[in-house]
Amino acid sequence: MLLEQIINGITLGSIYAIVALGFTLVFGVLGIINMAHGEIFMIGAFIGVLITSVLGLPLWIAFIAAIGVTVILGYMLERIALRPLRGKQGVSHLAPLISTIGVSILLENLSHHIFGAGNHPFRHSFAQIQFQVGSITIYLVQILIFVISITLMVVLSYWLSKTKAGKALRATAENLETASLLGVNTKRTITTTVILASALGGIAGILVGMAFNSVNPQMGLSMGLKGLAIIILGGMGNVKGAMAGGLLLGLAETMIVAYGDSGYRDAIAFITIIFILLLRPQGIFGKNTAEAGR
Amino acid sequence: MRNSFKKVYLLISVLMVVMLAACSEDETNATSEKSGGPVSAKIGVISYMTGPGAAYGEAITNGFNLALDEINEKGDVKIELIIEDSAGKQDQALTVAQKLMSSDDIVALLGPTLSTEMNVVGPEADINGIPIMGTSTTAAGIPQIGEYVFRNSIPESLAIPAALEKAVNKYGAKKVAILYGNDDLFTQSGFDTMKAEAENMGLEILTIETFQKGQSDYNAQLTKIKDLQPDLILASALYNEGAVIMDQARKMGIDLPFVGGNGFNSPQVIEIAGEASEGLIVATPWFGEKDDPKVQDFVKKYETEYGHKPDQFAAQAYDALYIMAEGLKNAGVADRDALRDALAEIKDLDGILGKFSFDEDGDVIMEPTVLIIKDGAFQQFE
Amino acid sequence: MLGDIINPYHLQIISFILINIILGISIYITLSSGQLSLGNAGFMGIGAYTSALLTINFDLPIFLGIILGAVVAGVFGILIGIPALRLSGVYLAIATLGFGEVIRVIFVNWESITQGSIGLSGIPHLGRELFKTFKLTGFDPDMLGLKNNQFIYLLVVLILLLVNILLVWFFIRQNKSRVGRAFAAIKMDEKAAESMGINITYYKVLSFTQGAILAGFAGALYAHVMAYISPADFAYHRAIDILIFSIFGGSELIWGAIFGATFMTILPEALRFISDYRYMIYGVILIAMMAFRPQGIIDVSLLKWFKKKLKLKRGGSLGIGTKKYN
Repeated sequence: MLLEQIINGITLGSIYAIVALGFTLVFGVLGIINMAHGEIFMIGAFIGVLITSVLGLPLWIAFIAAIGVTVILGYMLERIALRPLRGKQGVSHLAPLISTIGVSILLENLSHHIFGAGNHPFRHSFAQIQFQVGSITIYLVQILIFVISITLMVVLSYWLSKTKAGKALRATAENLETASLLGVNTKRTITTTVILASALGGIAGILVGMAFNSVNPQMGLSMGLKGLAIIILGGMGNVKGAMAGGLLLGLAETMIVAYGDSGYRDAIAFITIIFILLLRPQGIFGKNTAEAGR
Repeated sequence: MRNSFKKVYLLISVLMVVMLAACSEDETNATSEKSGGPVSAKIGVISYMTGPGAAYGEAITNGFNLALDEINEKGDVKIELIIEDSAGKQDQALTVAQKLMSSDDIVALLGPTLSTEMNVVGPEADINGIPIMGTSTTAAGIPQIGEYVFRNSIPESLAIPAALEKAVNKYGAKKVAILYGNDDLFTQSGFDTMKAEAENMGLEILTIETFQKGQSDYNAQLTKIKDLQPDLILASALYNEGAVIMDQARKMGIDLPFVGGNGFNSPQVIEIAGEASEGLIVATPWFGEKDDPKVQDFVKKYETEYGHKPDQFAAQAYDALYIMAEGLKNAGVADRDALRDALAEIKDLDGILGKFSFDEDGDVIMEPTVLIIKDGAFQQFE
Repeated sequence: MLGDIINPYHLQIISFILINIILGISIYITLSSGQLSLGNAGFMGIGAYTSALLTINFDLPIFLGIILGAVVAGVFGILIGIPALRLSGVYLAIATLGFGEVIRVIFVNWESITQGSIGLSGIPHLGRELFKTFKLTGFDPDMLGLKNNQFIYLLVVLILLLVNILLVWFFIRQNKSRVGRAFAAIKMDEKAAESMGINITYYKVLSFTQGAILAGFAGALYAHVMAYISPADFAYHRAIDILIFSIFGGSELIWGAIFGATFMTILPEALRFISDYRYMIYGVILIAMMAFRPQGIIDVSLLKWFKKKLKLKRGGSLGIGTKKYN
């Protein structure tokens, strides 16, 4: 049973990690908590359902469509809800938080009207492929999710540290004004970040649909809150921290169900947050100084 | 400074008055006509139409509207429904209830959707002396709130024991595992009944697992349950979560039958979970495949109107309006107290759910049917 | 006469507005020292459950229950406030949001005391209990031409109104005092405030705790106005609702919180005719607000403008006004 539970935990944790990657990117560059990220994730999942179950098209199209739609959403989020607040006089540091909450309410209720309130099944034969290892059943989807999350993390880390665009992004994260003085197109960099983060959300959405066969308009909120917890755990703006934090939370949640009281499953994320913040506010993998590995 | 305070207060109070006026626009003073002809009355509906549980409110209002057209066509009574949204929140349910109650020509209330809302609205309606009937409130203690409070939805304390007893007898179950949503009144209340009944029947409860709203991963709980090897799984869940739970359980290789509560019973389960839903046992007042022209007529009408099969929420709402209509007809006038007395008298009214009567509390007297999902459809479970 | 004007529906909305104003002030007051707490839903829950349990199980008078509810919430405020001082800005917001969720989960799971998600029903109702006392003294609402429920809700509104006036008066006084100036200084620049000799720890904990007490107080009132509470009442959505009161109305002034709470309570009622799209509009309003007026509707310059207008009107239009009425 332990092994099975570990697999469950890793699957869940990998999804959390991808969601948290999107959170952490936006926070790292803009210093903003994007409360709409969970809802963008949810829309991604719905696009997956629409393409595979309703239209009956292959999975790769679903991925492309989900990424496409979430990229557009990300762009709109940046243009409508974030850019107008930037550089404006007298803007409280809470304004972007509220603005993204507005987007999240809007998206949740919009998808309510479009898709209805119920759960939508994600029917795809790919989700049924399984292996038998001893007494344990492993689904290909579970492996895929894990691989995708690791790949995304590695690619993202590489992109941030080695490529020019990544360096521009980090420079912007470090200091927006200095970066723009040094010739970085900060506007474009910020837009890229938000778009990239949204696309990550869209990918996570499809993966959840495949793994758990459950897509509904409310899933964004719960996932959003978990993602928030993870970036605290892993250090805000830290890519590897988000990955590790996600896996840790996924495993912890699974273990508390397996060996403790499942009623406290949702609390574990938040209890961890409180303790981490009080003992090590920069998170497990965060560094104290501004040179934190964003 | 003081002047500006006054100004702001003025602004706020003007705003308040304007908006309150906007709130009460439909409160015209027209009183219902009582002389001769069919009784015509307005009935207020409080339903959960926006938010996470909007699917229930939708089914319920669909049921009402279908019944409304038929009743008004028949012409024994003329009913007008005034539908308000509570968004599933107690404070909003209470506010709209006050709004409906303070309009004198509304003689009765139908709803609200959730038992939590009824716990708040019920006492208020009772004090104001307006009959209120829940069509989906199944938690214990609802009709006992007061003599103006009724319900036509069969409580968990009736449905669950019926299903459990049949399942246990059929499969010879001795060990059970229980899984329930602990942050919802409906499923929590169902769980309380399940646990009490399982203990009552001398079953061994191997584990009690919980899940929360918005969760989409039940693998951890199910793995644990699978490991304990029960004979039967009791799941107090709403169909939305329940269907996903069954799907994940079957994928994991758990082939056991599930016994569910009232909220688990919906054709949507089959739609969402497909083959995985095979083996779900529920007790229900509503059986859409019943060989009764009334039932089949309703199903057909509902399907053509709304594009999918009705569930018990729609069926209960449909019957509820007929009960109200019968009450109004017997009362002869559109009066709250007369209607209450007429409702309490209702006996063996033939509806799509079967023969219907109220007991002395205003609760349901009815024999539930036990159903199982087999070959992709609900069938009678023997 | 009076009976025709008073509508329980309106009274109900007004009493929710008044409770929400207290909640709005509770978040305003922590914001006034530059801290953002999203845990006020949790503090509200603590106040509500404390008062409800004490009045149900120990037959405590409602007023005592409400006060104790506020006190217990305040104690939690101190307990959370001291360690949370290390955090600032967004971190504090998330930590307090986490606190609120933990509190809710405890309410759900601690079934022997809180009844879990079944919730606590049969909480003594503020108005109905008072009504009983009035009845004992031989008073009948009929003397005022009121129906029972009109009178009950009128009582509730009057009590809440009194409480609100006292609170607003107190916090306006405080704002002009040494405490209020210290809060403002800390909000402006913590380091500078410290170097000026302001005891930062003390004032930050004070403002955080005041927020917690107010939220607990509002929660206790809520419990006795609804007569039923369940953990779902104090979830994430409530925290966001409370936040919106202050942010929408304006987070610089107490009037902002009051206006925000009033407007945001009435809005869903007034927009009921398009109820299906209510929350979508709600979202759009939030986005638009932040884009066009991020400091909130009411800010210092608006207030100044009003003051000017008021003075002009006072001076110029008085004569015309009296003429008209002659």
